[in-house]
Formats: sequence, C-alpha cells, structure tokens
Amino acid sequence: MTEISKTATGLKGLMCPDTESTEVDIHADGVEMIKSLCYFCHANCGVLAYVKDGDVIKIEGDPNYSSQGGLCCRGTSALLHVNHPARINHALKRVGEKGEGKWEQIPYDQAIQEVADKLNQIKAESGAEAVASAGGTTRTDDWARRRFLNQFGTPNGFHNALLCWIPTFMAETCVAGWSPFETDLGGAKSLILWGMNPGASTLGGMHGYTDLQKAGLKIIMVDPRYSETASKADLWLPLRPGSDAALALAMLNAIIYGGMADYDFIGQWCDGYDELMEHIAEYTPEWAAPITWLTPEQIRQAAAMYAMNKPGCIQWGCTWDQIGRASTTGSHAIALLRAVTGNLDVPGGDGMPGPALNFLTDEELELNECLPEEQKAKQISRYKLTSWPGYQIISDTARRTWGKTLPTEWFCEAHGPSVFKAILTGDPYQVRALICNATNPVNSYGDAKMTLAAIKAVEFLVVVDYWMTPTALFADYVFPAAGALERPTIVTHYGATDSLMGGRRAIQPKYDRHTDMVFWRKLGLACGQDPANWPWETEEEAYYEVLKGIGLPVSNYNEFVDNVRMYYPPLHQSKFESNGGFWTPSGKVELNSTILRQLGFPGMPTYIGTIENPIDTPELLDEYPLVLTTGGGFMPYHHSEHFQMQGIRYLYPDPYFSINPEKAEELGIEYGDWCWIETRRGRIKMRANVEPEVAPEVIFAPRGWWFPERDGSADLNNPFGCLESNVNVLTSVDEEHCDPMGGSWANRGLLCKVYKCTELDHEYKAEDTQFSIPGSVAEPGIHVKPSEQPLAREPIPFEMPQYPDGEVPEGYDWVWQNNTLYQKGTNYKLDASGWLINPRNKAYYDAYTGWRYDANDECLVDDETGKRYTMDREEIKYMGAYRLYPGATAPFEVPEQLVWKEEGYATLPGRDELIYDANSGWLIDPETNVYHDAYYGWAYDPNANCLIDMETGKRYTMEYQEIAE
Amino acid sequence: MTRYVMVIDQRRCIGCHSCTVACRTWNKLPLDIIYNPVVTEGAQGTWPNVHKSWTPLLCMHCENPECVPCCPSGASQQDEDGTVWVDPKKCLSCKVCVNACPYGMRDASHLENRMHRFVRKCTFCRDKRQLDPDAQPYCVLTCHQKARVFGDLDDPNSEVSKLIGSVKTERLFEEFGTEPQIYYIPELGGKA
Amino acid sequence: MKHHYWEPPIALYLFLGGLAGGILFLSAIMDSFVLPNYTEIFAWPVFWAIVCVAIGCVFLIIDLGQPGVFWRVWTTATSIIKWGATFLVIAAVFALLFFLAFIGDAWPIFAPLSDFLKPAASFFLGVAGFFGLCIMMYTGIMLSTLKAHAFWATPALPVLFTVSAISTGCAAITLTLGGWPAELDLFSMIAVEVVEEIIHTVDIILVVAEFIILMTMVLSFLGAGNVTAKKAAKRWVCGSYAPLFWIGMVGVGLVIPFILYVAGSGAAATLVAPILVLIGGCLLRFLVVNTDDRAPIPGEERYYTRCAKPDAEFVKKWTYGENLF
Repeated sequence: MTEISKTATGLKGLMCPDTESTEVDIHADGVEMIKSLCYFCHANCGVLAYVKDGDVIKIEGDPNYSSQGGLCCRGTSALLHVNHPARINHALKRVGEKGEGKWEQIPYDQAIQEVADKLNQIKAESGAEAVASAGGTTRTDDWARRRFLNQFGTPNGFHNALLCWIPTFMAETCVAGWSPFETDLGGAKSLILWGMNPGASTLGGMHGYTDLQKAGLKIIMVDPRYSETASKADLWLPLRPGSDAALALAMLNAIIYGGMADYDFIGQWCDGYDELMEHIAEYTPEWAAPITWLTPEQIRQAAAMYAMNKPGCIQWGCTWDQIGRASTTGSHAIALLRAVTGNLDVPGGDGMPGPALNFLTDEELELNECLPEEQKAKQISRYKLTSWPGYQIISDTARRTWGKTLPTEWFCEAHGPSVFKAILTGDPYQVRALICNATNPVNSYGDAKMTLAAIKAVEFLVVVDYWMTPTALFADYVFPAAGALERPTIVTHYGATDSLMGGRRAIQPKYDRHTDMVFWRKLGLACGQDPANWPWETEEEAYYEVLKGIGLPVSNYNEFVDNVRMYYPPLHQSKFESNGGFWTPSGKVELNSTILRQLGFPGMPTYIGTIENPIDTPELLDEYPLVLTTGGGFMPYHHSEHFQMQGIRYLYPDPYFSINPEKAEELGIEYGDWCWIETRRGRIKMRANVEPEVAPEVIFAPRGWWFPERDGSADLNNPFGCLESNVNVLTSVDEEHCDPMGGSWANRGLLCKVYKCTELDHEYKAEDTQFSIPGSVAEPGIHVKPSEQPLAREPIPFEMPQYPDGEVPEGYDWVWQNNTLYQKGTNYKLDASGWLINPRNKAYYDAYTGWRYDANDECLVDDETGKRYTMDREEIKYMGAYRLYPGATAPFEVPEQLVWKEEGYATLPGRDELIYDANSGWLIDPETNVYHDAYYGWAYDPNANCLIDMETGKRYTMEYQEIAE
Repeated sequence: MTRYVMVIDQRRCIGCHSCTVACRTWNKLPLDIIYNPVVTEGAQGTWPNVHKSWTPLLCMHCENPECVPCCPSGASQQDEDGTVWVDPKKCLSCKVCVNACPYGMRDASHLENRMHRFVRKCTFCRDKRQLDPDAQPYCVLTCHQKARVFGDLDDPNSEVSKLIGSVKTERLFEEFGTEPQIYYIPELGGKA
Repeated sequence: MKHHYWEPPIALYLFLGGLAGGILFLSAIMDSFVLPNYTEIFAWPVFWAIVCVAIGCVFLIIDLGQPGVFWRVWTTATSIIKWGATFLVIAAVFALLFFLAFIGDAWPIFAPLSDFLKPAASFFLGVAGFFGLCIMMYTGIMLSTLKAHAFWATPALPVLFTVSAISTGCAAITLTLGGWPAELDLFSMIAVEVVEEIIHTVDIILVVAEFIILMTMVLSFLGAGNVTAKKAAKRWVCGSYAPLFWIGMVGVGLVIPFILYVAGSGAAATLVAPILVLIGGCLLRFLVVNTDDRAPIPGEERYYTRCAKPDAEFVKKWTYGENLF
C-alpha cells in the first residue's frame, strides 16, 4: 500500500510506475472522515475528506449531500490543487521591477504590516477611497472584505458581480421585492433555461433537470449554441446572441396579447398591468423575429409552453447580465414574464427565499454602518441600480418589508472597469491602491488590455491568490490563499437566501497560506481597526455566530456540519399571502417599477439593442459580418481557473472556438486550425472547432484563457499569454456600451470576423491588442474622460412626490408609493392604528417606547430587557414566574378560603410563600414550582398522584382521604 | 457467480469528463493514460436541426477478451467476476494486447520511466474493490448525471440487471465476437 | 484515435526476423535438397542471419516497456508471441552452432570446436532452416490474429510476409553467399554460381508472387474491405502512403529489381537488385505495421486530436514536490 503523500507530494510519484496498488484504504486506523465542501465553483458539492496525520489522503463525493456523491473534474482535482507545485505558499514581496518576477519570501505578518502601513499612508494622503479592492467569484468570505473596507472607509470594493446575477437580482427585486431565484422544480411543469448551460456549469443541477424531464417537465432552452443542455431540451430557441431582451419582450407580448396571463394573480397582486399592456404592445413576435432570428411561431410556441404549463420556472442565466447595454432590460422583461404568469413564489414556481430571518445574513456581518455617508457618495460607479443610490432604496425597502436586507458585497459595488479607468485617467479621482483577492482581472474583466494597463499602472498592488497569475505578476505583495480543504465553507448564496449549508475544513492551511477572512482580519488590525470589530479568529467561530440564531442543538460549527450540514427553513411558499403582499414599496408586484423610475430609469422594460447590431451600427457589418458570443462556461475550466491542473488541461489543452461548418468552409477553416477572431477592439487566437452547434453567422468563444506554464516575465505585453487567447480582449467596457442601470459590460452579441492565422501573422504581437478609452484598437490611448462619455440612456427625470401633510414627522421616513411612515432605525411601519409593526414577526410595537405588544398577556414587552409592562406602560411585577397585581382588589375571582395580599396576589392565610394561580386553581410555590392544594395547602406529588402535608408528612388522596402508610 | 458489468445511459451523459478526471486522479494514472474517455463526434446534422450525444468509454471487460490469450507473460488476465486486468509484476509491455483490443482501451504511458512502462487499462477499480467488495468504481461515483451504473449481471435484483432487462441496450463492436460487457442505452430510442 | 503503439523498432524486428528466417530457410533447402556437400558456402549468409536475429531481438526488447524482464515472454503457454520468441531462439542457436562449425576455417583457434560441430552442420542448418520458416510465417500470423486491425486481419498477410521474407532472404544470400569464413575451392565456387543462379530465378518468381499478393491484398481491401480497411488501403493507393507504396515498395522494391533481375547483368543483378529488394521488404514491414487502423468508435478520433501531446509545455512544467513560490 502506498501512502498518498507519495503521490500527493509528487506528480513525480505519478511518473514512476508503482506496481503496487495505489488504492488508499480509507478504513485504515487513524483515518478520519471529514465532511467538507468543494470550493471550485458555486455549486459547492459535498466532499468527504479522509485525513490522516493532518494531511488529506483522499477525497470522495458525499453521497448524502444534495450533490449525491457527484464531483466534477474540478472537484476531483482538489488534492492535486492543494499540493500543486505552482501554488503560492508564502507571502511574497516584490524585489525587482514590477512584472520582473523577482520575489522575496517574507513572514506573513510582516507583509501584512507593510501593506497596512502603505494603505494608511495612501489614506492619509488621498483619502480612503483611493484604495480599491477587486474580488473573485465566491472563493472568499466577502463579508470579511467588506468589513475591512467599511472600517477603512472606502466604498470601492467590486467583483465581476455586474456580469453575474446582480443586475438581474436588483431588477427583479424592484419588480417583486426579492429575486425569485430558487426554482421549485419538483412541482414545476415547465422550465426555461435561459442563457445558462448547467451541463457545463452546475452539474448537480443538471442531474435534477434530467430526472424531472423524464417525469414530464418541459424544458425550454434559450441559447444560440447547441449546448450540452440544449441537447437534452424539449424546445431549443437558438436566438441571435445578445437578442435576449427582444425575445423576452416578445414572449411577454405573446403571453399578454395571447390571453395567457394569470389574471387572478395579476388582479390581486400586481400593479400597473394596464400600463404594461400598453407599453408592451409594440413588441410583437413579428417585431422580434428579425432581431432574434427566430420565427414568430417559435416565440409564440415558447411563450405558450411556459405560460400554459403552470406552474413554471425560469432559471436565471448568466447571459442576461452580459449583454452590455441591453442586459437589465432583458432581465427586467423576464422578471415580468414570471409575474404576469403568476409563477412568483408559488409551489412549483420561482421561490423568493428572502433574507435569512433566523441566522445572521452576510449583511449583518459587514458593518455597513461604519462607512460614512460622504464616502458612499464617492463610490466609483455611474450605474445606480447596483451601487449605493439604488442599493439604498432597495435595501431600505427590504428592511421595511422583510426586516433584513441584502449584503453590500455583490449588491452594492463600484464598477470594476470604471475603477481601472480611474487608475489610468484619474477620473473621477486617482485610485492609488488595488487589493485583488481571488481574482485575475486581466482575464476576467472586460477589455483585458485596458485592465492589464491599469494593473501595470496602479501605484500599489496587493494580490491574494492561489497562483502566480498575470495580475499577481505585477503585484507589490502577493499573499498565499488557503483553498478548498484548507478552509471551512458556508454556503448562503451570496447572503441572499434563507438556507445554509456547511462544510468543515479538512486540514489546516499548509505552509504560510491563510484564508481570506484571516487576511482581512489581520490587515484590519494592522491598519488600526478596533479589535472589537474583529472578534472571530477563525471562520469556525464566525460561522458559529452566524448560525447560533437557528437554535440547533450544536455547540460549535464543526458539530453543525457533522450533525446537520444542510439547514433549510420550512419551505414556506406563497409567503406573499401570509405577508399580505410582496416586498416592494407598494406591497404589490410592480409591473411599472417605482424604484426604477425613482432612479431615473424606465419603469417598464424598453427595448435597446446590443452594442453592435445591424440596425444600430450597420456600418460595421462589412468589416465584421459575424456575431460573437463570449463568456459561456465550459467544462472543464471555471472562469480563468484550473489551467494549471494537468490532468484537466490534458483533455483540453488549447482554446477552441465554435464555428459552423458552412461558414468554416466558406472561410477555408478546418477543424483545429488556429484562427484570429477580431472585433473593433483587438484580436485573439483560438483553434477552430468546426461543428454545427452554432448558426453560420455565429462564433462562440470560451472565456478565461491564459497559459500559466509559460514564463510570465518573458513578454510583459502578454504575460503568461494572458491577452493572446483571452476573449476579454474583444469585449467592451465603454460607458455607453454598459447597461445604464446595472453597469454590465458587453460580452455577447459583438460583431466580429474570423480568419485563419497565416505563416506571417501566426505569432501574437503587442499591436494586436492595444488599449484605448473608449475602446478601439485603431486609436490607442485615452480619448475622453470616462465621466464625460455619454451613457447608453439618458436618465429620465423623476419628481419625488411630496409628503401630503407638510413635514414628515421626526423619527420617521415616508414612503411615497404606499403613503406610509416607517420608523427610522427600526424600519417598523407606522400602522393606521398608531402602532408600529415589525415586518419580520408582524408584531405590534408601541410607537413611543418601542415595546412589543403581547396579545396573550395583554401587555407590552421590552425585548431588550425582557421586562413587561402594562398597557399603561407600568412595569409588571412578578413573584417568580407569576404576575402580581398590586392593589386592594384582585382582577380575578379569589376563592373564599384565600386572602388577598396588598402586594397583588392571593394565598392561604399564613402561607405567604404560595401564590394562587387563577388559571389552574392551585397554589404554587414560585421558588420550587410545586403545586399546592388551594384548601389545605398540601403539596401535590405528581409521581404518586397524591397530596402531602409537608408539616406532618402525612399523605392524602386527591379526595383528601388520608393514606395509611 | 458474480459478473460485473456496466450500463451507460447515453440519455444522461452530458460530456463533462468528470469520470475521466476522477479515474485518472484516483487511480493515479500518468497524464497520457486515459482509461475512460468520453467521446463525441460533435453536433450532427445541419444547424439548427442538430443532435449531439456522448459515448463514455472504458474497457469493455469482454466475456471473450481478445487481449488475454495473446499475452505472452500471463499478465493480462481475467478474474472470475469478469474483470480484465494487467498485473504489472508480470507485464513486459510487448503491447500485443494493446494492439489486440478492438476498443483501443489499453496503453502504456510514454511519460513514465523508459525502463518501466507497463500496459494499463481500466480494472473496474479492482484495487478499490479488493479493499471494499461493495465499492463502486470511481467513474460511477463521481458522475453527477448518474449515467454510469455498475453491478452484478448475475444478480437479477441488481440495478444493471433490471436496466438491461427493461431498456434496449447496445454494445460496441459485437461483430468481433468479444462479447463486451459494457451496455449502452443509446441517446435516442432507449425505451424498450 | 491512438495509433502506432508499435513503433519503428517492431517494424525493423519483423523485417529482420523475416530476413533471417528467409536466409536460414533457403540455405537449408539449398543445402539439404539442392546442393549438399557445399555447406560451407552458407556460413557467411547464416552469419548475417544470426546478426539479423540478434539485432531484431534487440529492437524487440527495446520496444518493450519493461525490457529488463523480457524473459517473461516465456511464462505462458498459449500466446503467439511466445512461440515467435521460441522460434527465434531455436533458430538462432542452431544457426550459431552451424556458423561455429565453420569459423575454425578462418580462425584456427576455434578449429577443435568447428571440427567437433562440423559433422552435424547440415543438421544444424536444417533445424535452423525449419525454424526460420516458422519465424517467417509467425511474423505475418502474429499480425493477422490481431483482428482489431482491419488491414492486418487477413490470411493474405502471412503469405505476403512469408513470400517477402523468402524474397529478402534470396537477396541477402545473393549478397553474401560464399563469403568468409568459407575458403572456396573451384567446386564450391561453381556451387556458389549454381546456387546464385537458382536463387536468382527463385527471387524473380518471388518478386512476381509478392507483387501479385500485395496488389491483391491492397486492391481487394480498397474495393471490398470494410470501412476501416478501405480507408487504410486508400491511404496506400492514393493517400499519404502512396509515394512510399508506389515508388518505394512497388517501384524500388519490386518492379526495378524485377527488371534488373531479368534484364540486368553483373552488378545490377547481383548487387543493386538484391539491395533494392531488401529496401522494399523493409518498407513493406514499416507500412504494414504503421497501418494499424482500428475501426474508430465515433468521436474517438476527435477526442485524441484535441488531447494534449505528451510533450506539451504544461505537462513538463511542474513537478510535484517542488514548490515554486
């Protein structure tokens, strides 16, 4: 039997044939099984880690977890990931020029202190906002980052969130009060998978779809590519890339004008249907047909399949958020599709979990109250829906309706590309420091060449990562990150849901690696932040704090994982019924969103085309006749990760783009040929996958490619080949190409051309990708200040209604939509009865004292102190647990043998220690809770069901007959 | 008697390569050795009327294997339960078995020490089953789609027996007379 | 699809094994049935047969993944490879005994040994010749039993290989007959002439026969083979192997030698033609061994095309156990 350590520490071990069995005996002595979670994508499948002597010797999928033992390529590679020779294991300090690749290994804490000193210096010189931070895609506990940033005072944290769910979430929340993202597929009859390919991205989900489809679920697939998932769908809509908004609007039109809407639901729960009906009239399937390349019949068929097979679900797809300026228009229209078909939060429909009410949400861990208002205003983003202006309204509404709100991480962020532009242009102000945590922006953000220029230009760059990425290469300090198996994991879906899943860490981080929470905590403390604000030294402590409120019988986080692992609150669907309305300002599903209007956007989705299309930019068609779609996930990689994992890379060593055989023949391209794909913004090299999975006019290019095996410093124009096959060279982040609401930049529906690499231009050259603002490879350089560039849509002026009764009363906020006052701070609603209502428990609170009304005891309760008060706000006294009624008269009938005491209770004469309980008719000793007979004062023995005279020791039956000994 | 077989449901497979990677990771294979490739010809037809399916492969653990009798050293052998495997301690890697296999499911690595390359192939995770007789092969465990089902064909109550009895299955290259023991439920027309 | 598990050493081994078998077989026939008593003229050809077997075995062992344990080849009873190896060893041993019986003629130090062996020389050659025939047939049969490969799995292949082996044997004997260590007297020089004449004629027949068998095999695959065989035959006839096939194997290896044999004289017939035959025989083994086309499982081709090459940069870049950062 070989020890795994032999192989774990060495692919060398793999290289030498080991003629013995290489099987690891998980039943051997000293092997402990730890329930962990995979950490290589958002699905977080269950993992069982077998640990011996502090090292993982084997992992397996957890058959008892929701993933049913499944693990994809990425997950099964976890052990190789832990021990990969290219992992960063120590804090690295740059000793050469930026990008030269010369590092000194220094102790972690020393590096932290040096970084903290520099950040404090920048803060003192330029303000906290000059420090920005880019994040990755849930490889991290981002609440910890926000906790740091808020205390530090900068609003400029960001992720690629704007390309992934967040604008959709915000638009959906504007419509119905939360994102209806938790599909209840078990009860669904139809499902639209729109711009998502679970067959390549979330395999656990795909398994469910396949099972349900066999049981009769109708699956409609919207994807320009014949994807893994499309191959299994009932109806496939191969639309023109980027025309999703047109399709959604046309389906909405088909449902509304085809009489397929749910009129009961609309009548009872929706506002603005008539306006929507009028607004949507022009977006007929015939109108959409030439835009989407679908026939009106196909659109009507899809609309009918969804609307007539109720209940139905629409699974969120990343595409919606990657179409550039048309993004949120599309997701807004899709949100309305669900609403008019009555599929919101109903069994079998799209569930709206709302924030977790019984455990701490991510938001409650973020310390958002630490960030001053004036710093919020400095957040670099012109896209209001996903930054402080929109977040504030949505968050206030959520607090008033749910009682809790969304985290600011993800949902309220700076606009990443704008931060990079600010580094290059100093507009709106100079960003001097960037902390990249678990992200490689050069590959993952739009306009890679501009991003690379910014990464090179930023004064102070700190990177926390697993690998030496093209971004890390230019860092001043690189910190090693602990990865899967080295950290506990808690899954709360970005803090936007009410369920919780957990996994333990299998081993302590190796070498000098630390988790990101530890990084931010150490950095915060080194920056001088209040230790009281960083109370948890480990994730386990923090996570236990998170789940304490559930009241499970566990005393620490690991126990939770061992015994519970998955916590789902009782699935309470149709919550809007029990809530008495949706969680919007008006309490209705707002088909004409008031929040969007208040922010200066159309309240109903109004068509806008992709950034480059035959209607708006016909002049481009001659040069760029093909439509490019990028950003789709593909197995076996995840974003720009896993290119180092040899076992995976071996299967997919080179980037392949898809082209239709017809077009390939026309262009003289054969399977496997290296080709250039070019847009106005540059060109990249990929190999041709000639396959009829896309239309002849469509090119599908996968994301993320770089080549970690190369010497990064050899070519600083293209370190690690990060530009030569990177689709983000082709994407656009120009202000007017971004979604004016959410800020999503344009990854899909771009116009391009494709041609074979020739002998002369086979090698990548720096000229192939030059950065410019706005982006065009023909004119390198900065041509306009980003803040002076127009947005895709001018804001629509909105006039706030005035409070009808003059001044808004002090201590209250007025919501114009429902003409209601809400108490500041608590966000309790001031009811017409004069009471405050807590949205979480629907309890009434006294408007003056804030005490809760207890209907059972007809009293007020101060939940903070636990003290109880009469309705006249006088404190209620107790004798033990029994209420006293001080005064001369009793509020209830007192049996004649008893006496009434002034202190407020009745008892037998001479037995002052007992109190008469009118409900039971017994006398009770409040100290011991022993019941006594109300005539003789004898104590009741429940075991023998008899009475005992404690003075004489004699026992009596319940009929007062003495029992002989 | 026990006769291990695998049923592969092509209706479920979506070509994620998880089985390939799980196998090579846990069986600690050299990089250039793949026991269980998942192959596809890509989408077939003319867009948009296209169709695509994947064929997960592995050793067919034939009832009548070509690769066993040709072995000069007795390294290539078959257990009573049908498992065909190569004993590295006996193999001299003449590769005659590699050439004998009609399915291309054997090879010796070119990345290993030049003097010690032995022929490798899928063993239905024999090593694993020797430690734990109820163990399932790694490719089966890791499959999210549950497209691979492993079990005893001689046990009428096993899932594989039930599947083979109820659904139309196909085998690869039956014309060679090898009696392959991997049963495919094809993408189309899989219902009996 | 993965191809060429057997690399050039195996093709060379098949060629050399066949060649040695051919030499031994022909020598034995000549010695036993045609011209007894001039046994010594076959000493030098047999020496080359031994060299061929030796080199062939080296190539065979080199191609093994675990050359150190090549003797394991004899550990089971049934496999054809094991029989081949046995034939090779027996043929080589008896050929060596035969050769040793004459080495004393040149190196007197070995004279006692030679004298001891000489009486049985013809017997040794007979045995070696018989096993030489077995080797020739075995090389073809071994390939033809691998029925996964459409181009190999034909009864024509052992015939072709055997004919080619004898033909190359002829060529080799022509080049070496009567050489060291034989000391030729007048009679034996005449014997050499006679044998060369016979072999010359035999080789003409064999070249013609080989041409016919080869064409029959390739063209029938092209016309009537299954998809895989057809594809392979197409590669020979008009695909990537066509230049090697038509110019190399057919032209250089068969047609030109035939012309030289028939119409040429002197060195053209006794030196150039045999060398060309040898080249042709060698090419035949290369082309056949490389034509290991298996019926592809749909998609297999594409899969392996996309997989990395074992020498890709990322494959070699990192070694587990060494930490870069």
